[in-house]
Amino acid sequence: MIRLGLSYGLLSSKRRAKAMVLPIVTTATGAYLLVLVLSMMSGIKAQSASLGHGDEIQRAIVLIAVIVLLVGVVEVAVCTTRTVASRTRELGVLGATGVRRAPVVAALLVEPFISSVIGAAVGALAAVLTGQLFAATGMASSGISTSGAAVGVVVAISVSAIAAVSSSALPSWRAASRSPIRSLSTGG
Amino acid sequence: MTDQITASSSSTVFRLLRFAFANIRRRPERFLLATLGIALAIMSVTVVRTISASFANTGSASVTRVLGGDSLWVVPASGIHYNSAADAIVADGPAPTMAVPSGWTAHKVIAGAWKPNSATVAVYGSSTAKPGAAVLGKKAAADIGVSTGDALPFGGQSLAVTVRGDDSIVTVPYDAARSVVGDRGWWTLSEPKADKGRNDLGALLSSSTGLPSSTNPADKPAASGHGLIYDTVGGSGAVTFEQEFSALFSGKITGSTLGLISTIGLILGFVIAISSFLASVQERRREFGIMSSIGLADEVLYFFLVESAVIFLAAYVIGISTAGVAVALVVPGIATPIAWAQAAGTVAAYLPAMAIVGALVPVHRLLQQRPVELLSETS
Repeated sequence: MIRLGLSYGLLSSKRRAKAMVLPIVTTATGAYLLVLVLSMMSGIKAQSASLGHGDEIQRAIVLIAVIVLLVGVVEVAVCTTRTVASRTRELGVLGATGVRRAPVVAALLVEPFISSVIGAAVGALAAVLTGQLFAATGMASSGISTSGAAVGVVVAISVSAIAAVSSSALPSWRAASRSPIRSLSTGG
Repeated sequence: MTDQITASSSSTVFRLLRFAFANIRRRPERFLLATLGIALAIMSVTVVRTISASFANTGSASVTRVLGGDSLWVVPASGIHYNSAADAIVADGPAPTMAVPSGWTAHKVIAGAWKPNSATVAVYGSSTAKPGAAVLGKKAAADIGVSTGDALPFGGQSLAVTVRGDDSIVTVPYDAARSVVGDRGWWTLSEPKADKGRNDLGALLSSSTGLPSSTNPADKPAASGHGLIYDTVGGSGAVTFEQEFSALFSGKITGSTLGLISTIGLILGFVIAISSFLASVQERRREFGIMSSIGLADEVLYFFLVESAVIFLAAYVIGISTAGVAVALVVPGIATPIAWAQAAGTVAAYLPAMAIVGALVPVHRLLQQRPVELLSETS
């Protein structure tokens, strides 16, 4: 049943690709910064050392890059609230025809998952390309670290996916828990 | 009559607030998410501002310590720099040679970094210091491991220690300092009584010594010259020399990677605010259609302004508190409660603008449409 829910979610995500653009862009921005910061860590380290308290500033930079990634991901969840609102009647039909709550929630979570993963992947790819460009043009004096970039890509994608799905869970759950008669009569 | 107007306007605000809270209750998860997004953005900016404010405070305190009440500061041609290990400003070369004009009070100071053990402290040598004595700031005393009454072995002498102040500076007699950190140093000067209150003291000293003068701490002495006079009381700006000097410090942070990332974070937070408002416009179009069809178009703006204010206020409170916790955990050596409070104040200054623009965008979108379009189901 969950599998059917997931494939239904996948189909409806295709239909709603336009609505996913903004969350993808915001997530990509956050992921781009995080991966770029992690891959240029040695340069940032040198810059922070000149200010004194190098280690602490470096920790602050990573902290802030992660926070900015999370800000980008929150947009995914805001988009989910919009999705469930505009699909209230559809959810009512599903409920009225006897579909249980779990597959409905699974179907609704496909969209935030896809948009966060695509967003993080696009951002990470852009950051890796920027890093290569910096390295090729000599703009990054202290070099680009491949291992840093790899860690960044993994962290960006996994953090985005987890944060997007968990923050979208509540609105999806609430929407799937409404009684079908209410969803069918009030939904737009 | 006046009473009535006051009463009705306050009840209007109250009604608007009730209306805003009713809408928040209708979509609590969206309110939570929008608040969370903006709070995270505010948190990132507050963390950066806290770091930059504490750098500014450090810069301001260190220059005040250097000047010690004097109005002019004559630095060597090779310049001065802030030694972050010693938390103090030190000179990079010998103080310029100059004849002090009559009537002026001049202090020639030796200023260099000293590494008595693994820690670095700054040594200031002054001719007014008591012979055979050393005054240490609390931090310097802790780094070296001495306290008041101890003897400090210093350049072959033994100096009697007095601990005073909080800094990381050891103040010793001129010759003792010179034997340890060399010739590096500067002059600080005070004008003659007759010239008190003038704002061209730098130019005055410049004409009699031939050294160039500046009121801007960002100006560096020419490497080929003999030195530079910083006029710390002159100039026409409203900003003091100390403030400008500390701005150089905080600018290093706000202009660095940190500043850039946090600004992007703030922009993303703003995007979230607008996107969540636009979503609620989309869902409530019929409601606003009814309102504008009975001539309440302007009132829609108030609804959004109040809702936006509630969201931004909640996000601000959450954002600065979490930022306080974050700086205490992540950068305990840099952040101070005062710097955090300053940062919270700075962030508060641009929130109203964000809240207002955030409300205007969806209202603009609404007012572009005719009521009948809003009421019809298809569009």
